[in-house]
Amino acid sequence: MAGVAIDHLISIVVLFVAVLLFIGLFSQTLSAAVNYQHNTSTAKLCGDLLDTILLTPGIPTTGTPVMFGLQDPSLIQYQLNPFSLMRLDSSSQPSISYQKTGLTYSTITTGPNNYLLYPYTDMINYSTASMLLGINGTYGFQLSLTPTLNVSVSEISTSPLSLSLSVTGTGFPLAKANVNYLLIPVALTAGYPDFETVAHQTGTVETNSVGSASITFSNFSPNINLTFAFVAYAYLDGIAGIGYYVPSPVGTQSIVPFLDPLSTQSVTLAHSDDVPNTSTNSNTLYYNTTFILESQNYALQETLLGSSNLYGSVISGAGNSPVTISMGSYVPGILVIAYHNAGNSGIVLMPWGFSSLGFSLTFGGTPLNHGWVATDLRQVQINGVSYQAQLSLWSVQGYQETG
Amino acid sequence: MMRTVEVLLVIFLLGTAYVATSSYITLPSPSNVSPLDLNQLAYTTLQQLDSHCDLSTAAFQTNNLTAWSDLQIALSASLPPNLVYNLTVYNVNTASNGAPLYSKQTSISNSANIVSSDASSYLEASSNVTYTATPEKISANGKPITLYILDCSDTNGWWITGYTPSSLAQTVYNLLSPYFKTTIMVQNTSQLNQLLNGQSLQGEAVKNAVIINTCGEAVPMPASFSNSGAMYDYTLGEDAQLYNWTWVSIVGYPFYYVTNTVAFSGSQNSWGIYGMNCIGSAGLNAFLEGLDNQPYVYNDAWITGAPAGVVYLSSHTLSLCNYYGLYPSAYQTSTRALPTSISAQYNLTVTTYLFDTTSDGYNPGAVYRHVVTTDVDGVEVTNYQGGFFALGMARIPDIRLAALGILCDYQPTKYASLFTAEGSNRLVVLQLGTVGGG
Repeated sequence: MAGVAIDHLISIVVLFVAVLLFIGLFSQTLSAAVNYQHNTSTAKLCGDLLDTILLTPGIPTTGTPVMFGLQDPSLIQYQLNPFSLMRLDSSSQPSISYQKTGLTYSTITTGPNNYLLYPYTDMINYSTASMLLGINGTYGFQLSLTPTLNVSVSEISTSPLSLSLSVTGTGFPLAKANVNYLLIPVALTAGYPDFETVAHQTGTVETNSVGSASITFSNFSPNINLTFAFVAYAYLDGIAGIGYYVPSPVGTQSIVPFLDPLSTQSVTLAHSDDVPNTSTNSNTLYYNTTFILESQNYALQETLLGSSNLYGSVISGAGNSPVTISMGSYVPGILVIAYHNAGNSGIVLMPWGFSSLGFSLTFGGTPLNHGWVATDLRQVQINGVSYQAQLSLWSVQGYQETG
Repeated sequence: MMRTVEVLLVIFLLGTAYVATSSYITLPSPSNVSPLDLNQLAYTTLQQLDSHCDLSTAAFQTNNLTAWSDLQIALSASLPPNLVYNLTVYNVNTASNGAPLYSKQTSISNSANIVSSDASSYLEASSNVTYTATPEKISANGKPITLYILDCSDTNGWWITGYTPSSLAQTVYNLLSPYFKTTIMVQNTSQLNQLLNGQSLQGEAVKNAVIINTCGEAVPMPASFSNSGAMYDYTLGEDAQLYNWTWVSIVGYPFYYVTNTVAFSGSQNSWGIYGMNCIGSAGLNAFLEGLDNQPYVYNDAWITGAPAGVVYLSSHTLSLCNYYGLYPSAYQTSTRALPTSISAQYNLTVTTYLFDTTSDGYNPGAVYRHVVTTDVDGVEVTNYQGGFFALGMARIPDIRLAALGILCDYQPTKYASLFTAEGSNRLVVLQLGTVGGG
């Protein structure tokens, strides 16, 4: 009798433990399958969402958009609007405030002589975009746009000026690529800087087997009173990229171009001493501006902006208003601002249209600590410049890969 | 002891079930759960390579080693380093039974064997071949209708800054004439006077016609009407109703001025443009009264509005932009939009919304049809009799909007020619695969 009871007891205990163990094992398998299904649907949504963003003309140059889309409505397929992109709040770099306008600006820059500064008040932020895309509260995303080609320019010598170019793609150097270039010499004599012309300041070179080329301007040697800006457009079989070079600025004072809301088509030029807070000193910088047109057939051409205040002076300190210049149209290009005073000089470049200086953009949330993140990739063009658009998408509702 | 053995048997069965289940439910690796959409990546890569027709050129020059070397460099540079590719060009021919035949011409690849891959294709047309699409001719009640474009040499335009009526007329002629059996440029106000009397100019059908006024806010006026003022616009409305015309106003406030450089040679529109007389807002009201067959009452009430911000092309319009190959900007500024209230006031119905109706009750661009209800043997029959297409855009006009509005309203079909000419097509297939961790 006791043996039967012990047998019964042992079997019950063993069965109970075994059932618990198998429930855990089966539920783990089922949970992994559910996660797999959820991750697969996230991945599919990622591709759909990326196409929706890239193929919908949505963000106008003014006002709140009714759709979130970046396509250029005057073109077809995966060609993005360079001005819609300027309104995206790219939060990867610290913002800049400017007391004289009372605004805070989103910043994209790669150095002290190029800026894309846009006021937050006219920007499309992440939460608005999520809402317009219909994924608010269900999915998070991050959109990044990176130039397909990296066109880097470095100085080899200054007397005469010799520059080295290197063109690389995401996978390989771009050998045998044509490179159209434009040199803009600037004389820094008394008064306003003066844009000059020299022989052979434009031309075309071909990159060698490792994607490099060099250009020598035999009749141009920059010095303390003569500086320059250089822009190059590299292309081969539909793949195109842009590069530029400006010598390091002299001194600590410079001009900072703040974009006004796109609909105004204007730019506010600020004295760097007034950024962020208005300086107590009154310093004057003399400036002159010109504009480089980038056409979709890869040509570069210097042209004058048809507006007032093309040249003048920017004075720091209270009571001195910043200068506003008008861009006059929505034709993409590069605004070139040369400035100087005693002890300070340089050239600042500002893209008019997102792609004009080949800037990168990261828009949206951060995928860190969100478990499973799906990504997808497309090749796009922005005013003829090749970019890769990558979307990262993740669920914010708690489903995630745990294994 | 027996129960313990039974339990062990149960555990064995459960274990077997788990092992069997686990072996069937083998979940793929994370890279397979969320792979790159290689199909779309391949498609956008092909599109980029062909953005300046370089891919098309190479596809038809398979012996041109330089072109293919450039293509391979561009392809390698534009793809992420963890992707391998195979790009193959096929010639497209037609078999005797009409089926397409694909014969391989050439291929480039950076990998001997591509696994885990996807592909996309692109059909390239030879530059030696021109493909055509034959448009259906717009008709009413089965009869082709006429397009009149007012290109009167004795008139001036207003709010068409940068253009002349003639240049706009030429553009709209090129855009729309393929869709009409007969397109007539009305070359002077005498010819317009003939039309207003119901007389054809070249034996064409006058009824059911579309009339596009390229003078902007001004309307060409025959000299015989020079003392009529707004009554002339009332006559236009009456004729639109009588002959079932669709009158097209391309920009601004419709019928705001009348123009005739001879009859009004001494008067100007207060902005220095001679040959014009200002009717003001009474012109539009008079036209609508005439269109609805109401008695003429002088009414100079300003009825248009300026919707806040920009106005957007309707989804219907956007969906037809590709079909007709017209791509005006999807958003525009409208300062002379017609109120929706005119529909009830003048028995109009909107058959096409070129732009979305604004939240404050304006139609920036819409085709209105005048509704007439008649009693036929005791049955009420509703017909359209007369139409009005008003684009209340701010200057300068985009004449493509006018063309698009007409096409969206009538929606003529385009019959594309068959793309099977021998040797005139090449199929380019780009296959992409991942290597490494994916």
